[in-house]
Amino acid sequence: MIITKKRDLKDLLENVKNYRNFFLIGCSECAALCGTGGEPELKSMKEALEAEGKSVTGTFVAKTGCQVLGTKVELKPFKEAMDKTDCIIVMSCGAGTQTAVELYEDKAVFSANDSLFLGNMTRLQIFDERCSLCGKCIIDQTGGICPITACPKGILNGPCGGCKDGYCEISPDIKCAWVRIYERMKKLDKLQEFCEVTIEAKDWSASQKPRALTARKEKKNEF
Amino acid sequence: MSFKDILNSGKFVVTAEVGPPKGTDIKEMIHHMEILKGKVDAVNVTDNQSAVMRICSMAVAKIAMEHGLEPIFQMTCRDRNRIGLQSDLLGASILGIKNVLCMTGDHVSAGDHKGAKPVYDVESVQLLKIVDGLNNGKDMSGNEMKGSTDFFQGAVVTPEANPIEPQLIKFEKKIRAGAKFFQTQAIYDIEKFKDFMKHARKFPVKILAGFVVLKSAGMANFLNNNVPGIRVPQSLIDELKAAGKEKALDTGMNITARHIKQLKEEKICDGVHIMAIGMEDKVPVIMEMAGLL
Ligand code: SF4
Ligand code: SF4
Repeated sequence: MIITKKRDLKDLLENVKNYRNFFLIGCSECAALCGTGGEPELKSMKEALEAEGKSVTGTFVAKTGCQVLGTKVELKPFKEAMDKTDCIIVMSCGAGTQTAVELYEDKAVFSANDSLFLGNMTRLQIFDERCSLCGKCIIDQTGGICPITACPKGILNGPCGGCKDGYCEISPDIKCAWVRIYERMKKLDKLQEFCEVTIEAKDWSASQKPRALTARKEKKNEF
Repeated sequence: MSFKDILNSGKFVVTAEVGPPKGTDIKEMIHHMEILKGKVDAVNVTDNQSAVMRICSMAVAKIAMEHGLEPIFQMTCRDRNRIGLQSDLLGASILGIKNVLCMTGDHVSAGDHKGAKPVYDVESVQLLKIVDGLNNGKDMSGNEMKGSTDFFQGAVVTPEANPIEPQLIKFEKKIRAGAKFFQTQAIYDIEKFKDFMKHARKFPVKILAGFVVLKSAGMANFLNNNVPGIRVPQSLIDELKAAGKEKALDTGMNITARHIKQLKEEKICDGVHIMAIGMEDKVPVIMEMAGLL
């Protein structure tokens, strides 16, 4: 999921100080799980705005805020509240925020969150990054652990000299990705492969921005 | 004779280090170069070491040549993508720089520009392959070049890494990628180093053992606790302690000289790399103590 973190409320209120009427949009997927865009967060944002003397014309938690058409349909019943508003605060990731930007051309849209990374929730509201969306996955060669993401240097061929007792040079709290890969490949009886294969420099053209994909057409070709 | 020829001649080589300063005042650096001139076989020129921004290693390598030293141009992958790296390698080549040491490089979080975007488009093993390609007239994309480089390329290895197995696997990958010589992280335990050398001797590469002079027992403990891949044995810490504050540095130099002498006499490795870290004037003294001058 996309991991988000609330922006500093004071900064946000400062940024929106020239607006009076607000509509709040959350998201029931990642942002709700991150505690940044579910019902409780919308409620406290509403209270914070009202405490500043602002008015909140409506709030809504979208099912999937990055799904533009679905969100558009979901927001139809809120037309009146939306008409009265001059500023939308989106409490999801940057993609969800830009759904609102696309749907409401004439309204100011602000994001209440910082979007951090694509990650896994390991325990309740504890997240860590597992994939950098590089566009050309190589983890079948690295024991299923992504060195592009788990190693701060994105090294592809084994631990650097900074590895200390199995931990990473940048923090004693992070296990060295290459020690993890080594240990896993050993367990999988794939050390031979680990030794013999030199992974070539990555072709970063697969992550050239902005990326777009039309899966629909491809599906037609496939089936 | 070039560094490569000296190494291949079988002479026990000594390399030292020149750290480019931050800023354009290079008086002290030139002074260090003058101390090392005629004494050591080559000097490493560090590349924004510890991710602290300084003069680029290529310019300082060129100045080292002008001052009669043979530079080993250190190159990390932290600050340049593959275009920048190759372009700088070609530049270094036309400046007459012959040796290059390929490293991934300390992370920006260790340095003084913590907000910098780390590049790491490629890493040490891949950089070695790039150098090999340039030496053979081809850039990384396989394009023919007009004129190739003729680098003598090396890499680093940590004989005391923990765990050691993945480090040794990477060592082999570096050799397959074209590394001809290795300089090691600082070593303090000759017996353990011998074990590493037993493994390393299976490969046709030259090994230079790394040395950092211990200035005190406190420094030894600091290295043990904070620097990856360094392990100072308790016996040496005791020796430094017993020497007392006044004599600690002399004892540290003594230890280094003693170890270097042993490596040479027992033909354990091909040379040594002395990282003086600000004590460049002590390098010739240590060499003399070790019977190398
Ligand atoms: S290799 Fe690329 S796609 Fe695969 S997990 Fe890593 S970043 Fe994601
Ligand atoms: S210690 Fe391991 S995880 Fe950290 S930068 Fe080095 S290789 Fe990557």
